[in-house]
Amino acid sequence: MSLIENLKSYSEGIKISSNKNQLLNSFFEKGFPTIQDEEWKYTSLKKLISEDYSIEKNGSPLSHLDISNHSLGFKNKIVFSDGKLISTPKIEGITFSDFSDFECSTSDPFLQLNSALANNGFTIKVDSNTIVDGVIEILFFTTTENSFNQYRNQIIIKDNAEVKFVEKIQNLGSSTSFVNHFTQIDCGKNTNVEYNKIQNNTEKSKLIDTMNIFQKEDSTCNINTLIFGGSFTRNNLNFEQNGSNCESNMNGVSILDKNQLADNHTFVDHKQPHCTSNEMYKGVYLGNSKGVFNGKIMVRQDAQKIDAFQSNNNLLLSENSTIDSKPQLEIYADDVKCSHGCTIGQLDEDALFYMRSRGIGITEAKAVLTYAFASEAIENISILEVKLLAQKLLAKKLNVDLDFSV
Amino acid sequence: MLKIKDLKAGIEDNQILNGINLEVNTGEVHAIMGPNGSGKSTLAAVIAGKDEYEVVGGSIDFEGEDLLELAPEERAHKGVFLSFQYPVEIPGISVSNFIKTSITEQRKAKGMKPMPTKDLLKMMREKMELLNIKNGYLSRNMNEGFSGGEKKRNEIFQMAMLEPRLSILDETDSGLDIDALRIVANGVNKLKCKDNATVVITHYQRLLDYIVPDFVHVLYNGRIIKSGGKELAHELDQKGYDWITKEADNQ
Ligand SMILES: Nc1ncnc2c1ncn2[C@@H]1O[C@H](COP(=O)(O)OP(=O)(O)OP(=O)(O)O)[C@@H](O)[C@H]1O
Ligand SMILES: [Mg+2]
Repeated sequence: MSLIENLKSYSEGIKISSNKNQLLNSFFEKGFPTIQDEEWKYTSLKKLISEDYSIEKNGSPLSHLDISNHSLGFKNKIVFSDGKLISTPKIEGITFSDFSDFECSTSDPFLQLNSALANNGFTIKVDSNTIVDGVIEILFFTTTENSFNQYRNQIIIKDNAEVKFVEKIQNLGSSTSFVNHFTQIDCGKNTNVEYNKIQNNTEKSKLIDTMNIFQKEDSTCNINTLIFGGSFTRNNLNFEQNGSNCESNMNGVSILDKNQLADNHTFVDHKQPHCTSNEMYKGVYLGNSKGVFNGKIMVRQDAQKIDAFQSNNNLLLSENSTIDSKPQLEIYADDVKCSHGCTIGQLDEDALFYMRSRGIGITEAKAVLTYAFASEAIENISILEVKLLAQKLLAKKLNVDLDFSV
Repeated sequence: MLKIKDLKAGIEDNQILNGINLEVNTGEVHAIMGPNGSGKSTLAAVIAGKDEYEVVGGSIDFEGEDLLELAPEERAHKGVFLSFQYPVEIPGISVSNFIKTSITEQRKAKGMKPMPTKDLLKMMREKMELLNIKNGYLSRNMNEGFSGGEKKRNEIFQMAMLEPRLSILDETDSGLDIDALRIVANGVNKLKCKDNATVVITHYQRLLDYIVPDFVHVLYNGRIIKSGGKELAHELDQKGYDWITKEADNQ
């Protein structure tokens, strides 16, 4: 069976509200997007959706070791096991709860599917003026073979609160998964949020991750996306600035090899004046890997004095790797500073020779230069543990035993 | 230590080195001079192992080993060091990280464990003092935005940290102010010992007042057309190259 057949037979056996049913029907009518769809032009889902998945979970329970092996070591953890929420932290000013329905009108097929059928995920409410000490770690474990998982998460951050998250989706043992992940973040006035996604799942796992962020005035939101693992990753990162003086920051690092594909679609909707957006995506491609970047910036008519910056820099380190990069600017206001740049290059031969002449072997020299290339985006991450992990994973991916943390 | 015999090398169809013969022994200082474009930097790069240049003839023997068989990093492990005429900027890597990586890799090649960070930092501080390098420099990105003189000083700093057997200094003096020249030359002299050797490539007698050479060679059209003692550099300083290059052209 293919995924759509899996989903049909699953949905026949369950009861859902009429609203959800409507969404589901409109999803089934159109089906999954194809490369004819502008948003999926460079990323084919064909192979992915032709596979057979199990929608029901039949995994095995987690051990403490599973958790500690994959944790970055933060005290406050939210842990999911095959969809079930098994652990939440206790933090003053924050309520953690299980999945709860929330609406979002959408024409995106993956979100329709998520709205209609997801029944796992978390809800986090951060009270106003809460400054969270430390980092909240969110771990989603899957132990089921060939599972299709959907999470639907909501984070509501009330005025003047500050909070940081690290998220990881992890398959255990020989399990593989296709995850359709959706998270909505509502940033209140004068809030400060950082959300780090460490996408380093096992070799065969697939991920579609959509994040919708709604910002009120004077809020700052930083999203860092680190892609090392998984065979297929599509990130849709959407910001909507609904108040003046908002700041939206995005950093992305992808280091891919073999047949990995990573597609980063970002969208910043500048609706109000005096706001900034800052986006820096760095991609490193080895083997037969493939990268896609699509950065859309919309500046609406009333959004004067906007400062929008976007860069997408890519290193192609093998003959068979490719990158498709596309900036998309739509500007309807006249007093706007908007810049974007895309580069595609190789490692600098002179720099390589320089390093080798200092006794640094060619593999290590390449790794150092690759790290140097990506470091600007990694340095923007405020959490030391995440930064160190990124350095470690980069060294591992490039097959070197180097420590970049001096 | 270093024996270069009839070395011929170039790039694609353009032969740049046309039969170089040079022997450098431990404890010696050699100066190589010569007009622009005569092949001095090419010779240095070929010794260091830049594979952009193709060696079409001759040999380079370093302490009984065929240097041409070795990768650039292996030559460095044997103790060959090149101070670049144009040091390369490497954004994203701090000076301290670069040097730490370099020392760790050199030690690894010799089967040694990494130097403890404390010792490394201590050594860096000592060498910085020797070369009169300001604090804050270690955390800057490698050569990025460095002034010409700062880049040259950074080369000698690396040399001081790596303690090579054979140092080739390619126009390390150009771009240095008078005080810096004295400091750098002083640093080079302090690092000199009976077991290592130095080759300085320069256009100016001034450097050789500080780093006194045992031998001076004139490179022209990819050949050493004259060799002599330190007085040859004085003579060149006064008379220029014409008198020897004409002779060479006539032959
Ligand atoms: N990568 C290269 N590609 C093409 N030509 C080269 C290359 N490297 C060197 N050459 C040529 O070889 C010749 C020698 O160059 P080299 O840099 O060795 O001279 P030099 O003696 O160091 O000169 P200078 O005193 O100006 O530093 C020059 O004519 C130069 O243009
Ligand atoms: Mg030169």
